[in-house]
Amino acid sequence: MHTKPGIAVSSGVAIGQAFVLGVEDFRIPKRFVSVDAVDAEIVRFRCALENVCREIADNEKLASDQLGKQYGAIFAAHQQLARDPKLQGEVEALIRDKNYSPEFALSRVLGQYAQVLQNLGDLYKADRAIDLFDLEKRLLAYLLGERREELSHLTVPVIVLAHDLTPSETATLPRKFVLGFATEVGGYTSHTAILAGALEIPAVVAVGDIVANVSGGDIVILDGIHGRVIVDPDEETLADYREWAQRARKVAQRLVSFRSFPSETMDHVRVQLMGNIEFPEEAAHCRELGADGIGLYRTEFLYLESNREQTEEEHYEAYRKVVSAFPDQPVVIRTLDLGSDKVPSAMPQFYPQGANPELGLRSIRLSLADLSQFKTQLRAILRVALLGDVRVMFPLISSLIELRQAKSTLSDVMEDLEDQGVAFSRDVQVGMMVEVPSVPLLAADFAREVDFFSIGTNDLIQYTLAVDRSNPAVAKFYNSGDPAILRMIQMVADAGKKHGVPVTVCGQMSSDPKFVPLLLGLGLRQLSATPHVIPELKETVRHLTIPQAEAIAEQAMKLELARDVETFLREELKKLCPDLAT
Amino acid sequence: MTSEGPLCQDVTVKLENGLHLVPCSRITEFVRDFPGTISIRLDDQTVDAKSIFDLLTLRAPFGTILTLEVSGPGAADLIKGLVALFECNFEPD
Repeated sequence: MHTKPGIAVSSGVAIGQAFVLGVEDFRIPKRFVSVDAVDAEIVRFRCALENVCREIADNEKLASDQLGKQYGAIFAAHQQLARDPKLQGEVEALIRDKNYSPEFALSRVLGQYAQVLQNLGDLYKADRAIDLFDLEKRLLAYLLGERREELSHLTVPVIVLAHDLTPSETATLPRKFVLGFATEVGGYTSHTAILAGALEIPAVVAVGDIVANVSGGDIVILDGIHGRVIVDPDEETLADYREWAQRARKVAQRLVSFRSFPSETMDHVRVQLMGNIEFPEEAAHCRELGADGIGLYRTEFLYLESNREQTEEEHYEAYRKVVSAFPDQPVVIRTLDLGSDKVPSAMPQFYPQGANPELGLRSIRLSLADLSQFKTQLRAILRVALLGDVRVMFPLISSLIELRQAKSTLSDVMEDLEDQGVAFSRDVQVGMMVEVPSVPLLAADFAREVDFFSIGTNDLIQYTLAVDRSNPAVAKFYNSGDPAILRMIQMVADAGKKHGVPVTVCGQMSSDPKFVPLLLGLGLRQLSATPHVIPELKETVRHLTIPQAEAIAEQAMKLELARDVETFLREELKKLCPDLAT
Repeated sequence: MTSEGPLCQDVTVKLENGLHLVPCSRITEFVRDFPGTISIRLDDQTVDAKSIFDLLTLRAPFGTILTLEVSGPGAADLIKGLVALFECNFEPD
């Protein structure tokens, strides 16, 4: 038995057999294939080549259309690399004559080419070697990607262990057979982690080397509560976890049975509990869990899932699905928050990263830099607003001028729709995310120009405490309970109250029941959270009175260290709802 | 079909950055479906013009003189087309 600590990103415990996914980068899973598999392996290689050629052709078209012919030419050249008769001939010869696996053969052949080019010495020729690495990566992605499809052929429940999972891979995990997953990298607020919460499967990330050390079929305990993976557990540990899992199931069942009860405090103050979603399909599930609407719809997943730009109709269709689940309740559509770690894998060339992507061209800045894409989305939002209480929200606003630009683009779109005689709603509330420290500092000024605020604690913590949330080396500095964060939330709540602007908290912080008393105590009456925790949040709300919450908040605000704040809030939750404390 | 060739002709590289990736790809694209053989010679190195990997190994900066060598049906037309590509600096139209 050995235990690997990691970061718990989605709660629950799963016990089952390990299923180990290959590593995408340059680690080749298998060097040789059996003689009778040679023909099949050659076919697999040719399919991968075909797919890569198609992908490159798509990129070529996109690049030519949007950036100009000279950019398209780069992809045309990649197309010629992929279609090189010599490359195909040499790889297939290695598979046939030496029984190399296609991955290994490809790596060898391209490696040799790259070396020849590098040895030529000229600077620009070394650059050519980089193009070869790119081709190799693409081909390997397809070759190994096919292996990854084995996930969809699962017939027994397993725990998936991988170096990393992309958001779209996570989203398409077959829920019936995937009991949970652990990845070697990642962080608490990585998008894969957020999706794991949405899928309601236990997950632990950042566990370090595990793929190489665990074999498929090993028994594994995935502890999504404490954040650890236990490989080959002894009988005693297994028994403990089985008992715990049974108890947790009972609590969950009891909580879900409360879904028709209103979310209000013991002294009858209504608290709106809404859901954060990434995919339209989740909206109906939020409703089943008793959500009061959608507080955050992360629309960029439309792009991440399909890997291309979306048409106005595609936007509209997705939004319509969400609104139809909540025709009478708020649906807050956040405009595209692409860039940084959220870049569609097929179009990295459109998202220049720079040395410091979190501080670079991302989110609303990207939208304002590419107005046509932004306007397409806004058109769809304004049209769908006819069907319900749709609100539009701009992410990552850092200055008033940015907010005004976004709002004036919205007005332009309204005018266009008006001129074209397209039906839409003018009556759309416009809000903004509070994610950059400049906003709490100037909250009163912003409050005069928006209909609502929504505090995105994930980015707010990152930018306030200067912690890259996905870097395990500094993850310990990323604390929701940091007094600076509490102070910022208070500033926004106070400004909101003074100017009659409602404030929601929608980051991971509001998905943690222990923060509920604090947030209510600071004056918040709206929370938006990962759907599956809504029953727990409601349970917490229903065990509180506002004066109690205010007392807890007052006490928490006096503490000096994040650690003390979290311990205090955990103890308070334990007193209020012993079932929920972990 | 009558076989032609081998036909030879010299061309000069007039690209500022030499014969880099994009022009190489224009060459392979252009000769892809030609049934005969096409090689490009530079001093004592001869490469197959249908393989971009081969072409990339040519050291052909601005001013280099390359020899095209084509044989097979339609060789005369093909060589004319290739020369035109070099003439217009690989930017047709």
